[in-house]
Amino acid sequence: MIRVSNLTKRFGPQLAVDDLSFEVQPGVVTGFLGPNGAGKTTTMRLILGLAGPDGGMATINGVHYRDLRTPMREVGALLDAKSYHPGRKARDHLLALAQAGRIPSRRVGEVLDLVGLGDVAGRKAGTFSLGMAQRLGIAATLLGDPPILIFDEPVNGLDPEGIVWARTLMQSLASQGRTVFVSSHLMSEMALTASRVIVIGKGHLIADSTVDALIKGSSATVVRLRTPMPEAVIPRFEAAGASVQTDDDGALVVSGLEPSAIGDIAFYAHVPVHELSLVEASLEEAFMELTRDDVEYHAHGGATALQPPGQYGSLPPQASWPSGPAVR
Amino acid sequence: MTRTMSPPRSAGTKAPRPTDTLRSEWTKLRSLRSTPVTLAVIAVMVVGLSGLITLAVVTNHRRGAQVVTDPVGILQSAWFLGLLAYMVLGVLVMTSEYSSGLIGPTLLATPKRMRVLTAKATAFAVTALVTGEVVSFVNFFVSHAIASGYASFPDPSLGDHNVLRAVIGMGIDGGLAGLMGLALGALLRNTAWGITTGVAITFVLPLIFNFLPSSWSNPLLEYWPTQAGSQLEEVNRQAHALTAWWGTGDLTLFVILLLAAAGYLLVKRDA
Repeated sequence: MIRVSNLTKRFGPQLAVDDLSFEVQPGVVTGFLGPNGAGKTTTMRLILGLAGPDGGMATINGVHYRDLRTPMREVGALLDAKSYHPGRKARDHLLALAQAGRIPSRRVGEVLDLVGLGDVAGRKAGTFSLGMAQRLGIAATLLGDPPILIFDEPVNGLDPEGIVWARTLMQSLASQGRTVFVSSHLMSEMALTASRVIVIGKGHLIADSTVDALIKGSSATVVRLRTPMPEAVIPRFEAAGASVQTDDDGALVVSGLEPSAIGDIAFYAHVPVHELSLVEASLEEAFMELTRDDVEYHAHGGATALQPPGQYGSLPPQASWPSGPAVR
Repeated sequence: MTRTMSPPRSAGTKAPRPTDTLRSEWTKLRSLRSTPVTLAVIAVMVVGLSGLITLAVVTNHRRGAQVVTDPVGILQSAWFLGLLAYMVLGVLVMTSEYSSGLIGPTLLATPKRMRVLTAKATAFAVTALVTGEVVSFVNFFVSHAIASGYASFPDPSLGDHNVLRAVIGMGIDGGLAGLMGLALGALLRNTAWGITTGVAITFVLPLIFNFLPSSWSNPLLEYWPTQAGSQLEEVNRQAHALTAWWGTGDLTLFVILLLAAAGYLLVKRDA
């Protein structure tokens, strides 16, 4: 189990990690979400002893990483895919790591086959694509067959087939009872991969719950309604306390009313209904609602969310992701 | 997924030993093609250069030029290339970990950071020392073969006073230059800075000292580590210089202090 308690890390005047506490349990994939600059990588580096905290502590099975007896057999961690010498063969790269961890060298071939790099084991790692680099990095984490795995953005650069592979691998690792802790900026990916999520922003904890609870608790009910007579119902919905927007294709997006109430109002107004559907909030939307105040670099101007996609191009480069959902 | 993995094990397996880290560092060293290539280039450069110098001196000698009093000095004048190359290689052994990002996995596999530095330094120092001795002896015998064709030319043999010591000493200095580079690489974590600092210590600063008044330059050069260390390569003791062994001790102490500082910072700093 990974335990982080009151962890704090400062870079100059800036708080990268701010009194952060959470636990990561075995048996499930735990996602670690946050906008860029939220402190995800720093937190992982603190857990792994690559950086020292300014306050608090991070332990693995109760001890600091540096005090683990057999680090590679207890924790496998991938922070940066291209952490290898480009002139070294993939096989030799893993061999050197295996030797340092006192792991039998036959394990090198096993993990290379496991990640699908068996055929390129003798190639220089510098010739690898980002996707192959990720696979090599994942292979290194599996050398010691550890019960705890930590991945920082592991699907970055993987093609769709690779993403499915990585997702399946992580879930099967968790189902074997391992602790799997994965950071990502891809909310949609985490929605598919993780069952628990820890959300941070500006270094502090925003949410620590299951993915389902996060989505359900995130927003009021949103219902999509299609009707040939929108102007007849909009005032009635608003009178009932809902807010109504018109979608690009003319459908009404009603938030703040249950679907049954919306159907009743339309019925009593004698308005035909062509579509009435519940719009589920995505993890992405839930996430952005949570982190709205904690995004380090906002796109300039809050109005960007309502602009058509074509106008994004004229804006200054976005440091993180869109500051709001397109439709609310 | 078509395959299965064994269930998580408890941490009841054997803990890695310092020798495991050493094996790992040796694998890193030998698995890069640039290591043997660089060493071969060092050998060709050094032997080629001192062969050429010997040939030039011998030719001049036959034409009646003044006899060289210290033929081993010819070897030494080419050996500076070797020292430079070992120093650069030492810097790279350390800084390539940082530039490639490999330092992360390295420290995850061996969180005991002093152990990593010790293993790296040992693996590289032994490589530099052994290859340095080989190059130094090849260098001697090639020069010897060129010079022995001319009867009147002073042609030292390994049995002569201090000649064997000087030849062995060049190999030792190669190892020490490599270690110095490695320590600088670990301290500065940047290839360009490491090489620049190493060149400054070994070549530029002693050159500048020469322009100081002799009351300054004599003691400075006498104790300056790389100058003191090179006394081991001399057959005859120079003026204002430590003896061969005191000089080697001076350089060794300097390298040990650099390594200690590097180790302290490696443990103290974020990786």
